[in-house]
Amino acid sequence: MNTDKITKAVLQFSSLIILLVAGGMIFSLVEGAVPAFKEFGFKFIFSNNWNPTEGKENFGALPFIAGTLITSVTALLISLPLSFSASLFLSEYYRRTRMAKVLGMMVDLLAGIPSIVYGLWGFYVLRPVLIDLGLPNQGFGIFTASIILAIMIIPYATSLSNEIISMVPNELKEGAYSLGATKLEVITHVIVPSARSGIVAGYILSFGRAHGETMAVTMLIGNANIIPNGLFSTGNTMASVIANQFGEAEGLKLSSLIAIGLLLFLITGIINTIGKFIIKKMA
Amino acid sequence: MQTGKLKIRTLKNNIFKSTVIVFSVVTILPILLIIYELVSKGIKQISFDFILKTPPDTFEAMTALSNGELIPGGIANGIAGTLFMVIMASVIAIPVGVITGIFLYENQGKPLANLTRNVSDILQGVPSIVLGLIAYIWIVKPVTHGFSALAGSVSLSIMMLPMIVRSTEETLKMIPQTIKEAALALGVPYYKVILRVLVPTGFSGLLTGILLSISRILGETAPLMLTALGSSAINFNIAKPTSAVPLLIWEFYNDPNMVDLIWSSSLLLMAMVLSLNIISKRIVARTK
Amino acid sequence: MKNLVTIILLLFVISACNSTSNKKGDKKSAKAKKVALTAAGATFPMPYYNMVFKSYTKKTGTLLTYGGIGSGGGIRSLTDKIVDFGATDAYLSDDKLAKMPAKVVHIPTVLGAVVIAYNLPGADGLKLSDLLLEKIFMGEITKWNDPLIQKNNEGITLPDLKITFVHRSDGSGTTFIFSDFMSKISTKWAEKVGRGKSLQWPVGMGAKGNPGVAGTIKQTKGAVGYIGSEYAFAQKIQTAKVQNSSGNYIEPSIESVSAAAKGEIPNDTRIMLTNSADPAAYPISGFTWIILYKEQAYDGRSKEQALVTVTFLDWLESSEAQSQAEKVHYAPLPKAAAEKAKAILRTVTFNGKTLLK
Repeated sequence: MNTDKITKAVLQFSSLIILLVAGGMIFSLVEGAVPAFKEFGFKFIFSNNWNPTEGKENFGALPFIAGTLITSVTALLISLPLSFSASLFLSEYYRRTRMAKVLGMMVDLLAGIPSIVYGLWGFYVLRPVLIDLGLPNQGFGIFTASIILAIMIIPYATSLSNEIISMVPNELKEGAYSLGATKLEVITHVIVPSARSGIVAGYILSFGRAHGETMAVTMLIGNANIIPNGLFSTGNTMASVIANQFGEAEGLKLSSLIAIGLLLFLITGIINTIGKFIIKKMA
Repeated sequence: MQTGKLKIRTLKNNIFKSTVIVFSVVTILPILLIIYELVSKGIKQISFDFILKTPPDTFEAMTALSNGELIPGGIANGIAGTLFMVIMASVIAIPVGVITGIFLYENQGKPLANLTRNVSDILQGVPSIVLGLIAYIWIVKPVTHGFSALAGSVSLSIMMLPMIVRSTEETLKMIPQTIKEAALALGVPYYKVILRVLVPTGFSGLLTGILLSISRILGETAPLMLTALGSSAINFNIAKPTSAVPLLIWEFYNDPNMVDLIWSSSLLLMAMVLSLNIISKRIVARTK
Repeated sequence: MKNLVTIILLLFVISACNSTSNKKGDKKSAKAKKVALTAAGATFPMPYYNMVFKSYTKKTGTLLTYGGIGSGGGIRSLTDKIVDFGATDAYLSDDKLAKMPAKVVHIPTVLGAVVIAYNLPGADGLKLSDLLLEKIFMGEITKWNDPLIQKNNEGITLPDLKITFVHRSDGSGTTFIFSDFMSKISTKWAEKVGRGKSLQWPVGMGAKGNPGVAGTIKQTKGAVGYIGSEYAFAQKIQTAKVQNSSGNYIEPSIESVSAAAKGEIPNDTRIMLTNSADPAAYPISGFTWIILYKEQAYDGRSKEQALVTVTFLDWLESSEAQSQAEKVHYAPLPKAAAEKAKAILRTVTFNGKTLLK
């Protein structure tokens, strides 16, 4: 039918918009990054050196790549059990109760806290606690940043998983219960398989969020342009170094920062692809 | 007999349940701590003045502090700017995001859909400052010849897209195929199936995704620094610089005399998020 | 659902109309299009700019928007021609000037000080000689009760505490002024570290922004770092006395900062004031500049816009504006500098014709 064709066209057009935006972004980033790659070649990606002093400039992205990966993975690992539990709490154990409403609202609030506020809270409140616990480096470092990141990404995975799990058809669950399954068994054998794709999508969203987080990380990670040598060492992430140095950057340094932005794009893509591949294998 | 096994299964079940409860409580611990911090440090600043007036300058703040008074002024310019840019960003992002999500749902497994999905996921991981840079290159320089609310909105809308796309797709996927097939079998035109059947059924999930994305951009600072820049006055002109609450928080943080205002501004921002949550939950309850 | 879609469409239409009809908020009428100025740049002078811009708006009604995105951001914004003027703590070198799209002039606006702040309860008024500064900031002295520090500070009890140096993690004009000073007093520093808005630091940890450094110093016993003077003052952080080129130990104050600018100033006003010759000068002082294009008729800029810009900048150099600097612990420009700035403003042209008399 005619309207059907139009509808299909509208749908397709809409997705093309996203592709265009992403493509345009890559184009603009590449354009800006070219001077850096011209100067340093592909060594840029693996170089450990970051010297911004005028006249002796030498830039390399490795410390930031390491920092980004370590903090995001740590954050995801910390948040996984927490957000999964919370989503089960909301959608299975205490569904539709007052408690669930309150918990749900609190979790949603976590998403609404500006990243700057996380940074401030982390700086003024969390850090002293960690210093008391004996953390080195004045409480700055990978660990602190990862904790804050974990807190920040909990709501994304929780809310989405909650919605998805709620939509698992009741008949499937009833069927399992009537066969004598315990709640745990229903969760592991019915809900998770059926909602798996949605749950994982939630975690991919969370991970992406952790990757790109700028303000909170930059205030807590210690901003040392080195490859982190331990969980409690200071370090830096790609997003954080861009935020830090962008205001004053020009010329080669600006180009290097844009190159890092481009690399972040690419690395996120690679990780996403690997993640999805693993999920397919699990299916 | 099966009792042995049953005992183990029941034990596992109970341990799991306790773990879930403990972890869930741990999850809300940070929010309680943060809210406590914000309220205890910020509540005394909240008043009608705070919402309706613009910020003081650093000297006014300094004199107030040395006199032991409350810092005067408020964040009216920030509130206006945030609402303005968030609405504009939503107008751009919601239709594009939802429609793309529907496209992905309808074209599972097809190459274009897979590409779009992957690209959307990657966009999710782009740091907000890079999006600000992009909006700077695309809008600030060529279109508005200066920092502007439009540039700010565009950077925010790009940030919203991946979340809306993904949650739309995943929500629709959970709707039993039978509902959609029944409608199609009745000869309902495709677009009506979408508008009258799919979207209403998946409304709660869709709204969650939209809400999450709006919550996220409400608190974004970095992209706005390069696009909207900020302003000391209330501004509704999309081609001119405009303030936003997170920008103001950043400005307060960086001003030696106005640091105390960060808590009350954050509190207000959270109030906005909370209201948004409550309103949308009401909407969802109505449609159910 | 239908209602939601209709509302969304309506909003879209409204906002589109907004962009074309240039409708402004509350008070300004749609007809009288008042010229508004946009600027961006350095954060070092922000407390002063914040206050003095607001008083200009109160006086004339011209709205001034200033974004503290950093000196580099200010230069970039001017290069991209998206602001009326930029602000920077580090003046453009000849190379950089040559790279700008058109000729750019600098006018200094105020004097500020970078203080050495530290956290040692009970040890106020620490005296840090040039040698001590070099050794501390390059990591050769690691404890506060080191005999070298003690020798310089008879009468102050120094604890057996590790020295934690806190520097800036982001690029900054404050770092520029600080490192310029360090390069002048220490050849080791000049060779190994040099001067710049961002550096490769031999030791220490980085915090973001002046507030980050100030906050960290405040919360860390034994910390030492460099921050803009207003931060130390507002947050009541201890500051050290630093030796100037005449060997005197000077505390940062309005007078000592003003003394740093008493020497000769070149006509284009591009000069670093660190370690100046005056015996009463605070050695880590500096100008901060505003930069704008000499020829204001570019990119469809209106004559009115250019006139408002230079009129404002002229006012900024007047005693009315300068006298406000002390309120927030910045020092007003010496007369000689203000006069040179005014002279420069009078060379700014629109289509070849000067704008101010």
